[in-house]
Amino acid sequence: MYQFINTVLNGITSGAIFSLMAIALVLVWRSTRVINFAQSGMALLSTYIGFECIQRLHSFWIALPLSMIAGAFFAALVDTFFMRVLFRRTADGPISGVAPIIATLGLLGLIRSSLGMIVGNSDASIRPPVSNVGFTVSGHTLAFSPLKLMTLSMVIALMLGLTLVFQRTNLGLALRASAYAPEIARLAGVRVDAIRTIGWALAGAAGAAAGMLQTPNGNGALAPDSLEFNLLLVFGFIAAVIGGLESLVGAVVGGLVLGLFLAFIQYYVSGSLVFIAAFCILIIVLLLKPKGLLGSKAGRRA
Amino acid sequence: MHKILHTNLGRALFFTALGFGLFLASNRIDELRVYQGATLAMFVVAISSLILLTGYSGQVSLGHGAIMAIGAYAAALARIHWGLPVWLCFSAAVVVAAFAGAVLGTAAARLSGPYLAGTTLALAVGLPSIANQFHVLGGEQGLLFDIGQPPSWLGADFTSYKWYFWIGSSACLITLWWLQNILRSRYGRTWRAVRGNEVAAQLCGIHAGKSKTLAFSVSSGLAGLAGALLAMTISTVSPSAFPLSLSFTLLTGAVLSGITTLPGVIIGAVTLVATPEIADAISQRMANSESVTTNLPGLLVSALLILVVLFVPNGPVEQMRMFRVKARSHTKN
Amino acid sequence: MIRMNRRKLFVASAVIAVGSMAVAAVPAQAFAPHRAEIGVSASSIKLGISVPMTGIASPGYNKIPGAMKAYFDYVNANGGVNGRKISLVIKDDQYIPTLAVAKANELILKDKVFALLGTLGTASNKAIASSVQLAKRGVPALFVNTGFSGFADKSKYPTTFSILPSYQMEAKIMSQYIKENYAGKKLGLIYQDDDFGVDALAGFKQGGVNFDVKVPYASGSQGVAGTAAGWIQKLQAGGAEVVVLFGVSSATTAALGNAYALKYAPQWLLGSVGGDATTIASAKVVPVALMRGSKGFSFAPAPTDTADEYIKMFQDVNTTYNKGVAFDNNIVAGMTSAFITVQALQAAGANLTRKSLMDAIETKGSTFASPTLTPLGYSTTSHVGATGYWIGTYDATGSLKPDGGAYTVYTTDSGSGAVVKSTYKRAPMPAKGLPN
Repeated sequence: MYQFINTVLNGITSGAIFSLMAIALVLVWRSTRVINFAQSGMALLSTYIGFECIQRLHSFWIALPLSMIAGAFFAALVDTFFMRVLFRRTADGPISGVAPIIATLGLLGLIRSSLGMIVGNSDASIRPPVSNVGFTVSGHTLAFSPLKLMTLSMVIALMLGLTLVFQRTNLGLALRASAYAPEIARLAGVRVDAIRTIGWALAGAAGAAAGMLQTPNGNGALAPDSLEFNLLLVFGFIAAVIGGLESLVGAVVGGLVLGLFLAFIQYYVSGSLVFIAAFCILIIVLLLKPKGLLGSKAGRRA
Repeated sequence: MHKILHTNLGRALFFTALGFGLFLASNRIDELRVYQGATLAMFVVAISSLILLTGYSGQVSLGHGAIMAIGAYAAALARIHWGLPVWLCFSAAVVVAAFAGAVLGTAAARLSGPYLAGTTLALAVGLPSIANQFHVLGGEQGLLFDIGQPPSWLGADFTSYKWYFWIGSSACLITLWWLQNILRSRYGRTWRAVRGNEVAAQLCGIHAGKSKTLAFSVSSGLAGLAGALLAMTISTVSPSAFPLSLSFTLLTGAVLSGITTLPGVIIGAVTLVATPEIADAISQRMANSESVTTNLPGLLVSALLILVVLFVPNGPVEQMRMFRVKARSHTKN
Repeated sequence: MIRMNRRKLFVASAVIAVGSMAVAAVPAQAFAPHRAEIGVSASSIKLGISVPMTGIASPGYNKIPGAMKAYFDYVNANGGVNGRKISLVIKDDQYIPTLAVAKANELILKDKVFALLGTLGTASNKAIASSVQLAKRGVPALFVNTGFSGFADKSKYPTTFSILPSYQMEAKIMSQYIKENYAGKKLGLIYQDDDFGVDALAGFKQGGVNFDVKVPYASGSQGVAGTAAGWIQKLQAGGAEVVVLFGVSSATTAALGNAYALKYAPQWLLGSVGGDATTIASAKVVPVALMRGSKGFSFAPAPTDTADEYIKMFQDVNTTYNKGVAFDNNIVAGMTSAFITVQALQAAGANLTRKSLMDAIETKGSTFASPTLTPLGYSTTSHVGATGYWIGTYDATGSLKPDGGAYTVYTTDSGSGAVVKSTYKRAPMPAKGLPN
């Protein structure tokens, strides 16, 4: 029972970080119909900025919002000066479906190799801001620590905050309108391009948060060629696809489903099967529901 | 009927002539270039499989590296366990990969853009790690894939790399010739129709799902062949030879070639093979720090990729054709 | 019309292909048997190394070439080897065998290096040896950086020399240590599910140790948030009191970090590959003090052992010739290989050829001065370098101190040979750390 509870807790906390990345991917997908493969590169860049802030200001709590702002700013720049040009130039023809994938992959490579040139192979790492020793309940140490509590609350807060923005504010309405019916939105006076850029900026911030939280939760070390960030993108993407790509709740559900599934495989079957397991759950979900768990057909038709 | 035969014959003659040219070339260039030529041939086959899938059938695959792995392992296992002759090993690679592609393609046909991209991405990450689960696949250190020494009638100073280059170029030329034909056939037209407008194609009585699955399967078969060629050039197969970055590299090559035009395929392959050397030359001139030197090839490829997508999104070949068409209409007026 | 043009372009692109290969072509070299050896001139020796400098496997390992270069620079500044200065051409293979073969070909055929040095990874080394045909070309592959026991087979890999003891040897020595010190305790093992782990399992089997809990992990999975927590859970559930950590350093960090989070404190035995205190300390997820009491296995002196003359010399060289790079296990590994390389070049004499170099290692290798604390096993029948391990305990600063104050070294082989307590005493370092 103790181990079962710990497996669930492990699944939830690793799923939470997958969710953050999935949220970032969903935000971009919703605003511009692009899967942003550069998201992990952007998260890496923001995390490095966060790391530099920690070095100078000695506080994780100041560095976190700073890195999120930096991430948002960078994402907005990418959308304004890169993606818009790209969309104009590849609006039609057989390339239109592939161009954004290629472009963001190129951007990922560009960010990573430039970062590699700048920081080289110097050591960088982020110390957990709060204790990562698990809480003890009646003599048992749980796989749940203040650090994980913090991570989980951040994810929930971000999801609720974003959902509120989308459901209850004019900005949210404009965001949804630009995503589903850009022409009509434009006719109604929405500055679609600017609104889309805001979508990218929100995603950049979410990605930065994912990077800043993953690093102390994982191995702590930070490198331009970090495997963790690669896998964060892959698992975040799988989570987003499982969740249906359209909804923020879906992204979180997808992240948790993936996290829990992998934790159970890890504990009850074998640790060497995580990657194959991730592929299997994706295939199973997509064969049963080709639009993901929470994907709505209405949304795509609109 | 007579006309088709005529053009087919023409194309066959053309590719034979090209092959003869390559044969003459292989005797005049040094060992390193011969080796790179074999790599080039592998990339041409791999990239054309991706162009077929994406450019002609409109499906995206981020996992072609994994499908290459299937072909490579099939060839190596056929060689090790049954000692099949080389050409049969390569056929096995094609057949097994095409079969795997058919299974995958059935699932893929149900999926649209990003979902398909996600599935193939997960495949690229997950599949190579299977090798560590089964003893027969040799684990991380991989299996030897030794195609043997070149036949003795080719002479004593005929090196293995020259032999690889010959096999690679022949496979590559046969692939391109076959592709040119199939793309002009009923199937090629069907794929393009489905890519252009799925609903319209269905109205014309085309079964879109079947057509997509077939394209995925054919493309996978070619990727399997490319995998076997890759295994031949490095004489081994191992999971680390088929990383996620290989799938991305192929996509890069396809875009640099012009994803919708098969004739440009050589451009992407040459760029992929040449970039590290160009980067080396640049960094030697500048004599910069180690971190600059080692990250330069990645930077160059990424920058080139972005420039191509922004400025010649349909590829250099298509771009030149459009220039010519424009120029011609201009002179007519 | 359009079709015609396309075909013309197709011809054109094919011509480009042939042309691009032919342009850079150099006329086939005439066979000139009496020429000086490739990569060697009166004033220089050119060596080549291909390692992951970028890509997922690069962190840590990408420091090795720099460390080698630093030591070579130090030797060059002091007159070089027989008046020849050593240069090192560095290539990046991203830990991908395909690239490793391509880079090895470039090094051998284009840069015309004298020998390859320190290639990393089992799959890459295997691919290079068979595709580049090192044996047929007679190119030495010095001190490959892998503990895969297969390279000990001289008939298969006649020009390959290794420096690390094999993983199998390490596992056998660990087994002996476990049987002597932890009899009757419940045993756990964390291992990587590839050849690295498979070799270890074979060694433990030979050593007669059965683990109560075995936890494999997929290579490349150790960094993903949360996955390492599952390993600790399994060990906890199985009640393991002594745990062997036979993984890479990121896995070691992840395991120790998660054990710390779950307040699980068995007796840790850290394998030589992952037991790098500097790496673990720099990750900052787990306080270094927690390593106190863990057992470590090593064949070289610990990088923190400044009392060791070699470590002190390496540190000085690192400060002068490798500015700004933190001194850790990777630096020690790189400089150790470089030191033995210089030693071998020296031993091969003024008339340096590939063959004379390999002969020198085979005949004089076991008497080389070497920073390693275990004897070097080179002979005409064996190409395995270090043949054993010393066992130590980590103190609160993450420094590995030999048990009982003095280095006790155990040696063995990759076969069925017994584990023997060695009487080897390392010879004093040559003056200024320059082999003579």
